Amino acid sequence: MSDGGWLLLAILMSSLGPGLAIFFLPERRYGLRTLLNLGGAGTKLVLVGWLLVSVLRGDEYRLVLPLLPGIDFVLAADALSLLFATLSAVLWFVTTVYAIGYLEGSPRRSRFFGFFSLCVSATVGIALSGNLITLLIFYELLTLATWPLVVHRGTPAALRAGRLYLGYTLTSGLVLFTAIVWLTLLAGAESFVPGGYLGELASTHETTLKVLFVMLMIGFGVKAALVPLHSWLPIAMVAPAPVSALLHAVAVVKAGAFGIVRVVNDVFGAEVAIELGLAAGLVVVAAITILYGSIQALRTDDLKQRLAFSTVSQVSYIVLGVALAGPLGVIGGLVHLVHQGITKITLFFCAGNFAETLGIHKISELDGVGRRMPLTMLAFTLGALGMIGLPPLAGFVTKWHLGLGALEAQFHWVLAVLIASSLLNAAYFLPPVIRGWLGERRTPWHEHMVEHSGPTRFETHWMLLVPTLFVAALSLLGGLLAGMSLSPLDWVTLIVERDYSIPGFAP
Amino acid sequence: MNALIWLAIPLVPLLLAVLIGLRPHRTRFNRWLPWAALPGLAGAAVGGDVEPAALDWLMLNTLLGLDPLGQAFLALTSGLWLAAGLFALSDRQDDPLRHRFYVFWLLALSGNLGLILAQDALSFYLFFSLMSLAAYGLVVHFNTAEAWRAGRIYLILAVVGEILLFAGFVMAIHQAGGDTRLTAIAEARPEGWGLALLVLGFGIKAGMLPLHFWLPLAHPAAPVAASAVLSGAMIKAGLLGWLRVLPLDETGHVLLGETLVLLGLSAAFLAAIAGVLQSRPKTILAYSSISQMGLMTAGAGLALVLPDLRAWLLMAVTLYAVHHGFAKGALFLAAGMTAQRPAAGAARLAFFLFALLPALALAGMPMTSGALAKNTLKEPLYDADLAGWMAHTEFALTLAAAGTTLLMLRFLWRWYQAQRDTQAPPRADSRRWWAWGGLACMSLVFPLLGVAVAPPEQVPAWVVLTGLSLVWPIAIGLFLGLLAWRWARDHERPLLREGDLVVPLEWLVHTGQRLWHRRPAWTGVGRHPARLRWVRYRLRERLELAERVLTRWETIGLLFAAAMLGLYLTLWAG
Repeated sequence: MSDGGWLLLAILMSSLGPGLAIFFLPERRYGLRTLLNLGGAGTKLVLVGWLLVSVLRGDEYRLVLPLLPGIDFVLAADALSLLFATLSAVLWFVTTVYAIGYLEGSPRRSRFFGFFSLCVSATVGIALSGNLITLLIFYELLTLATWPLVVHRGTPAALRAGRLYLGYTLTSGLVLFTAIVWLTLLAGAESFVPGGYLGELASTHETTLKVLFVMLMIGFGVKAALVPLHSWLPIAMVAPAPVSALLHAVAVVKAGAFGIVRVVNDVFGAEVAIELGLAAGLVVVAAITILYGSIQALRTDDLKQRLAFSTVSQVSYIVLGVALAGPLGVIGGLVHLVHQGITKITLFFCAGNFAETLGIHKISELDGVGRRMPLTMLAFTLGALGMIGLPPLAGFVTKWHLGLGALEAQFHWVLAVLIASSLLNAAYFLPPVIRGWLGERRTPWHEHMVEHSGPTRFETHWMLLVPTLFVAALSLLGGLLAGMSLSPLDWVTLIVERDYSIPGFAP
Repeated sequence: MNALIWLAIPLVPLLLAVLIGLRPHRTRFNRWLPWAALPGLAGAAVGGDVEPAALDWLMLNTLLGLDPLGQAFLALTSGLWLAAGLFALSDRQDDPLRHRFYVFWLLALSGNLGLILAQDALSFYLFFSLMSLAAYGLVVHFNTAEAWRAGRIYLILAVVGEILLFAGFVMAIHQAGGDTRLTAIAEARPEGWGLALLVLGFGIKAGMLPLHFWLPLAHPAAPVAASAVLSGAMIKAGLLGWLRVLPLDETGHVLLGETLVLLGLSAAFLAAIAGVLQSRPKTILAYSSISQMGLMTAGAGLALVLPDLRAWLLMAVTLYAVHHGFAKGALFLAAGMTAQRPAAGAARLAFFLFALLPALALAGMPMTSGALAKNTLKEPLYDADLAGWMAHTEFALTLAAAGTTLLMLRFLWRWYQAQRDTQAPPRADSRRWWAWGGLACMSLVFPLLGVAVAPPEQVPAWVVLTGLSLVWPIAIGLFLGLLAWRWARDHERPLLREGDLVVPLEWLVHTGQRLWHRRPAWTGVGRHPARLRWVRYRLRERLELAERVLTRWETIGLLFAAAMLGLYLTLWAG
């Protein structure tokens, strides 16, 4: 074990330990379970913060354990890992608070929070993986840890969603596994290197590399919901709101996108990807996904389903940015990893608040909700406008860099895709906002929450409201203070300057 | 320190919006509504000497400051919003939804003030969007079917405009090498698509032909005070945007310039004709705004064609914008004074004078602000060498005043009839009178002020404020008005549907929707139902079956276990 590797292990264990302990807690130990949950989340936040400061200082963290002859289990922390790790640590803490409030009084909470913690451990593991094999291990772990969360409610719809989810992800996991084994046989179990480690093979094994790239993209693309591998995602939205939030903002979808980022930048490298025409292909797939997701979102009236299709569209912004393979495009893509996360989690929290408090599930039921739940509606507005990409919200910073990156990489038609996508986003996100603020409710609200657990001090339970407002504030500040140091944009710029050898980029 | 001064101007309205929005029905902050524009007015008065402030931490390198162009626009904008705010406070005082109106009002105000101060593309875009979207709340305020329709069209055009602007800015900034300052964009001379997108994006806001049709719908639908700021201040943001980013340098841009002159002059005449055929006073005013914005568009175009005269022409366009803003604001407020008509005496005289004065100013009556604006705009054209049809620009600009005169006659007549029809008990409200009278008097005060501060070597005041070329178009307008008087004065229904182009557009959309719903009858899919549908159904059936089989537990488990084992063995052996 090399120096400092214990910190990486501690970060993993900070959620794995409490998670395993929670499985053995009886259902009624509410206090202890909450303590374990919040303690784990808090510890992880502190540890990741520490790691962040150290990496910023230039320290190296690496943990290598032999797995098979010639194949190591590697944990490492570079700037990109930390981007994802910080995102998941912060949002995990917030989602835990939200989930405690959301599931208050419902059965099987020990099981839920156990898997919840496992899920986050796997996500952080993915972030800190130092090579493809390690990434794969955590990636499969994530698949298995998320399934019980999707089917948590046990309804037929949930079971169907769970089956579909597992069918898609396991199959893709298999493809991924095959591809990684093949790649390991071909190039060895290398660690991730900025600029990739396949440069020498590009001339000799061109076809093989192309096939491998497609297989890897299928493997990661299912979780990243690239069209046509996306159909599990909108169905999986039957899960409870905190799970959807985690699935769409941090864990599953992001894991897929993160895998694609790693493959394009640290395995193949931007140069090889451009040379073999793989980047251009990925741009096309991402563009199709962006438009398709938005069009489908327009067609649905179910709030959570609309958000789910919007995720399909928005996650492809990340893929698009990375596939543009120029510094500005990569900045736009990577920063959207964070921006999509904080914006989408805001929207899912709001959808959860509406559903739990007033039993609202459809957009047509939102009329006048701004007067009953102004703060949640405000958060929803910030999230929706951010998704459209209006300043000063986080989504704007992304769209801006993607637009400039597209021109820089000579993909002029991508700008047209961005325009069309923004129009579609406006077409499906403005109507709920307008209904909420300007619509009129003629019948009294069906006070779902008040009937079950008595009156609340604020417009809804404080444990649902505070996390919502917190992430909404993040999604505003992410754009408003984008120029500050340690903002997501600043950090991503640092990554691009420090780690990536992108052709024609002089920082 | 400078940063604080510049930030305060848009932040004060924003803060007030938050305060009112937080506790809508228990707040005493309402009465501060008009005064939220006061920092802007103060900034316009003294801000010329304050250095711009670079705020690196805000968004992406925000730069706020005030140049002479901005100073004029800031004075107009904050002055108009202040007066209209005063009016709105009285006009909306019994409205149960007034708090909502005030919040949208303040948000739009914040955006409108901020975009004038913005010196970089991103913060400009931020404030521009804030203004556009918040104004939607003002347009739909009355919750009627008419308001919702107007609001829908307004919102679609506003969003399209914003997205065009986004793309235009991205392309222009890419061309400028990543520099986001507005001056850098103009210096890099945006070309091709980038330029076209910027012109269109701002053109939607400025009511440029043929993207003007939201105006005649939104203005009559919105409350009076909102129409006043919409027409007087907010559409000027489009003009300001043009003046900021178009290549107005010593090279100019002949093609774009000629296009703008052509579009502007067409708008000036066509909108006058369309407006005369209307019957509602506020719709007539909306068309007059399109017509007047056309003249300003033509002025901006001339500055592109005649780069040597650009400084003078830009000043003329700015003067015109300020003149039109105040006069049009006063006319819209006049439309909301119906219940305030005094029974007799000096007040009654003032009542009609305050409506007449801005109308005369718009027509270009000597000694009014219109005379100053029109004379300044036409002054350099007398001895400019313009070829082809452009040589008649000066004549066309002059003749446009005849159209404006007709429009104003039509407005005053319809307005007067509305006065006659309503018998509301007079309830003098001094706030409305101050707001309205103040704006109306600007038509006289502004030219005197303008002449007083002008450098002495310029032409003497009596030349700038009078002239034969001002009078004869008015005479033509009056003559035409008299001719039409007999048969047209009492038309209750507009001869042209409000929103002109929007009518065929809506028809197209509706027909398209109808056809889409009936598509099996005539698309290829429908013509060979037996074959194409069958293929589609079979395909879907197969896919669903495959998905069902493959997602069965035992299939998944078996396949997965076998594959894992195989691959693991391969890895071990390899």
